[in-house]
Amino acid sequence: MKKKDKISRPNPQAVGTETGTAPSVPIMNQTENPKIRLENINYYYGKGTPFEVKALDSVSLDIHAGKLTGIIGHTGSGKSTLVQLLNGLSRAGEGRVLLDGTDIWAKPKDIGRIRYRVGLVMQYPEYQLFEETVFADIAFGPRNMGLSEEEIRERVVEAAAFAGVPADLMDKSPFDLSGGQKRRVAIAGIMAMRPEVLVLDEPAAGLDPQGRHTIFQGIRHYNRNTGCTVLIVSHSMEDMAQYCDDVVVMAHAKVLMAGDRDYIFSRADELEAVGLDIPQVTKLCQLLRRGGMPMPAGLYTVEAAEEALEAIFSQAKGQRKGGKQA
Amino acid sequence: MKGFAFGQYYPARSVLHRMDPRAKVICAVAYIVASFLCKNTFSFLLLLVSAFALILISRIPMKVVLRSIKALIFIMAFTAVLNIFWIVDTSEGAAPLVDFWVIKIYAKGLYHAAFILVRILAMVIGTGLFLTYTTTPIALTDALESLLRPLAKIKVPVHAFAMMMTIALRFIPTIMEETEKIMSAQKARGADFTTGSLAKRAKALIPIIVPLFASAFRRADELATAMECRCYHGGEGRTKLRVLKYHGRDAFALIFVALFIGGIVAINIFGRKYGWLYTM
Amino acid sequence: MENTPFIHVQNLSYSYVGEDDKPIPVLKNLSLDIREGEYVVILGHNGSGKSTFAKLLNLVVDDYTFAEGTITVDGVEVMSPDLTDEEVLNLRKNVGMVFQNPDNQLVATVVEEDVAFGPENLGIPQSELRARVDEALATVGMTDYAHHEPHRLSGGQKQRVAIAGIIAMKPRCMIFDESTAMLDPVGRREVLETIEKLNREEGITVISITHYMDEAARADRVIVLSDGQLVLDGTPGEVFTHSDTLRAVGLDLPQCTAVSQHLITKNLPVHGEINTPEQCAEAILNAWKRM
Repeated sequence: MKKKDKISRPNPQAVGTETGTAPSVPIMNQTENPKIRLENINYYYGKGTPFEVKALDSVSLDIHAGKLTGIIGHTGSGKSTLVQLLNGLSRAGEGRVLLDGTDIWAKPKDIGRIRYRVGLVMQYPEYQLFEETVFADIAFGPRNMGLSEEEIRERVVEAAAFAGVPADLMDKSPFDLSGGQKRRVAIAGIMAMRPEVLVLDEPAAGLDPQGRHTIFQGIRHYNRNTGCTVLIVSHSMEDMAQYCDDVVVMAHAKVLMAGDRDYIFSRADELEAVGLDIPQVTKLCQLLRRGGMPMPAGLYTVEAAEEALEAIFSQAKGQRKGGKQA
Repeated sequence: MKGFAFGQYYPARSVLHRMDPRAKVICAVAYIVASFLCKNTFSFLLLLVSAFALILISRIPMKVVLRSIKALIFIMAFTAVLNIFWIVDTSEGAAPLVDFWVIKIYAKGLYHAAFILVRILAMVIGTGLFLTYTTTPIALTDALESLLRPLAKIKVPVHAFAMMMTIALRFIPTIMEETEKIMSAQKARGADFTTGSLAKRAKALIPIIVPLFASAFRRADELATAMECRCYHGGEGRTKLRVLKYHGRDAFALIFVALFIGGIVAINIFGRKYGWLYTM
Repeated sequence: MENTPFIHVQNLSYSYVGEDDKPIPVLKNLSLDIREGEYVVILGHNGSGKSTFAKLLNLVVDDYTFAEGTITVDGVEVMSPDLTDEEVLNLRKNVGMVFQNPDNQLVATVVEEDVAFGPENLGIPQSELRARVDEALATVGMTDYAHHEPHRLSGGQKQRVAIAGIIAMKPRCMIFDESTAMLDPVGRREVLETIEKLNREEGITVISITHYMDEAARADRVIVLSDGQLVLDGTPGEVFTHSDTLRAVGLDLPQCTAVSQHLITKNLPVHGEINTPEQCAEAILNAWKRM
């Protein structure tokens, strides 16, 4: 069991779910100097109509700088709405979104600049490709930023490498690529804007296992090498467990809990209670504990489970031997 | 855009809503014919009254109907003004009401303008209430397919046309949603659709239109395969889950509309005979 | 139960027509049998040829220039050039297909009319159509949505409507071509439960193409394709023991299977069919208690 950097972490809080009506909600996953802070966000669809739906309910949340944060929750839990708030694609009726401590809507005219600082890769981004060549498509964002040709070229090459787009595809039409390749081109198109925060909505949806791993490994590598703060929205707890530092769990328009992986998966029972699929190994460990085995709580990777089981079995063997000798 | 409803179908419980769509198509056509048959003040008055009676029967709020007329207000005003200034009464003893510089306005012009306004109003309200407000687009498609079926004998692809309409109706909301998604995606890459010259804005649409077309073709391809797998092979030998049936109310409505036309024709004849005011 | 398999595939090879009419091979010398009532999962990475295989079973590929070998469905050779239109329709009626994108297979603007689309094409009399539609909607649990517009449904619901549209044709076999790939976990669960119900209760032969390993774990039989060739074929338990082969063809083991296999390599007495967390926990607990 590796529990590195547990000490330096501020204690993640999970209040706020019960005190939703309070005027100021405690900030989940609070930290000093967060990259992004959401303050008391309320978001409604169809406000004032009979079909009014509260998509985000008193959400206060910190996203830590430089971390890879996963956002998980059911369809309709508010996670996609949340994502669109971060780069100003939509604006909450109540509450503030702070980027490096500044309200992104402080100057509404400059919201375009916020979109370069917070890059958003939408779901199934391959359907946004339109240029004649892969190169031109990745260059679309940087070109809109008004950069020099030289700078654009440099950024495109860099982003393509991070996203795993081979150099020999650069002059091909994006429409001739395979599904997985198109996806990577679309992701490169956002990375090429060199955003400070990269947000990806279901980056691996519909891909086969190998495609999933390639995408997630690429994103993690990008995060580690550039120091860019990365947020991933996903349904898959197993992917979250494997790749993310922090996890934000959304349910019923609220943040149910937020914190680092160890903390989140130690509360696996609560995740299950809101109907989320916990990783299979976490489920297994839970069942083993119920069966009386001394498994540690909150395991979420195959390796950790294997390690723990081996230890338990060797201890049991030791006891048996000891028993025979006695 | 999620709540987008194609056409203006307004759900309510009225006899107009329950009528067979074919009867409604026939009624709408007959109503347009009737509005063109009107010739004098009395027939136009009858037309105007009938239009408002239709609104009451349909149980659709007056303001909803008036909203659709609002869109036409410019055209209506334009035709009215045109009639007021252009019509010259050449009959004996007709003096202009206003005679100023080149402008001559005759009473006949005012009447004509009023007639035209009533005609447009009645046509919009009539077709709206018989068709778009009370009939779902899909029922309308069914009705057209059924009414045009005789044309299939002269090789008009009536079934294919109806199928196309159905698929279009099915996919319009999907494609609207997709457009919104693609716009968001391109905005996230710094695309700007709202500022700049017209040419710049037109160019800014390329990043939306190209992916939209690509996706529409992909959808078309997948849908065609799926339809083939579901044994689609054209209209031949096809049965239908929903079969249109005429009811008593439909016969009643058709007879009523026929009587209405008859009444207007009668008013015209009497009007001419007895020299009623302001015939067209 | 029967001696002749429902689907019999013999030396099937297929290539797409590429640039300059060059063949791009997709399936290579594939032979397999599927018996009536089986629940078969076909696994493979993207581009392994699994979708092409499914389309061949329904005669909906575009070009047969490079198609070799035979496919027999219920005794009828489907790639034979003398197949009549009626036989083609009969084949498609008997072997229904559900695709990946739920949006792109619904035709009508009202759920029940979409379900009726297939039987309407088959010319089922109007009196029976109603019964078939109601029955199919009930089977997939969508009766309450009969008058809804498809575009307002969730992904899982749309996919269940698509399934109902196939059931209403009364097929003997259904092919699911990555039908859960675009769904969220809730939608996936709904669709999987429906698929299992169709197989267990209605006796419909199910061929499910996927790359989710936990879906494979629930089937009777798993076939693994890679680069157009059959790599593994057996019960989930048998197939999952070949962890190296699976990894080599780009597939993951279910986490539980990985854990139990690791314990087995350490000579720990973990036995039995281990495909679900429950089975795995039981096997490990048994081993532990016996220590």
